[in-house]
Amino acid sequence: MVKAVVALLMVVSFMQAYELNAQMKDFMNSLLTEAKKQNPNLKEFDYARGEKIFTAEQIGKKGNKISCVTCHTADLSKKGLNENTNKVIEPLSPSANSKRFSDVKEVKKWLRRNFKDVYNREGSAQEQGDVVTYIINKK
Amino acid sequence: MKKLVITSLLIAGSLLAESSSSFEGRKGVAPATDSLYLKECGSCHFAYQPGLLPSRSWVKVMENLSDHFGTDASVEGADSSKILKYLKDNSTEKFKNYKKTKSIYDSIATTETPIAVTKTRYFVQKHREIGCELIKQKEVKSLSNCMACHTKADKGSYSEREINIPNYGRWEDE
Repeated sequence: MVKAVVALLMVVSFMQAYELNAQMKDFMNSLLTEAKKQNPNLKEFDYARGEKIFTAEQIGKKGNKISCVTCHTADLSKKGLNENTNKVIEPLSPSANSKRFSDVKEVKKWLRRNFKDVYNREGSAQEQGDVVTYIINKK
Repeated sequence: MKKLVITSLLIAGSLLAESSSSFEGRKGVAPATDSLYLKECGSCHFAYQPGLLPSRSWVKVMENLSDHFGTDASVEGADSSKILKYLKDNSTEKFKNYKKTKSIYDSIATTETPIAVTKTRYFVQKHREIGCELIKQKEVKSLSNCMACHTKADKGSYSEREINIPNYGRWEDE
């Protein structure tokens, strides 16, 4: 009986992993409000725009080609590798790693750092919303 | 009664002797234990023990996190202060009773403020014979990747018999 309950809970939590929690929903809503201020024609965040942000190669600070894929790989359900330090990066997709996109403070920190590393500037509200939309929904 | 007192004195004495000898002669460096430090710094790279650099070095590292060896590693204010306090409280000056910490400490001139243990004289001297190809290989990549060869580096232990260099094996100093 206990086993069945645990199994059921695991199935339920797996199914819900794609759905953002309350603090993350608030964060995404505040990003959208901010993005609409800057771009009144914006309706919602967009997966395809996010994919482009995630995969487009830039010239990094060290003169090398870099994109989010460089460290996170193109398969977000798999582990990545930090190019500089060789440290394993746990999967980015919340469907593979339920810790991802659950803590707004962490999400803000990594968006700030990683935009700066790849694009050499912080991401706009729209760019942040688009790229998060891509990452959490990519199958 | 007298016997009992003497026996207990003997036991107490031997306990004291044991604890003081292990206190003086610790190998390696004190392990990193602070959970915030391990999370914030250890998520991107090996969590270098605070006892690998002096206090002034940690201040310099933490002041420049937005350009941390070419990467943005900025941490928000409150967390940054907590991490710096932990690093300063446990820097080389505080742990000279650990052998490696003392060796590193002694190799840094008071006029120097190295921001990487790999730049300290002791470290450079210890790693000078390791071939470039062993360092550049994909399993290692850089001398800053301690765990690639020092299998117990995360425990603060860097002894020679624990070394296992990928595609090479054990290392023996002559």
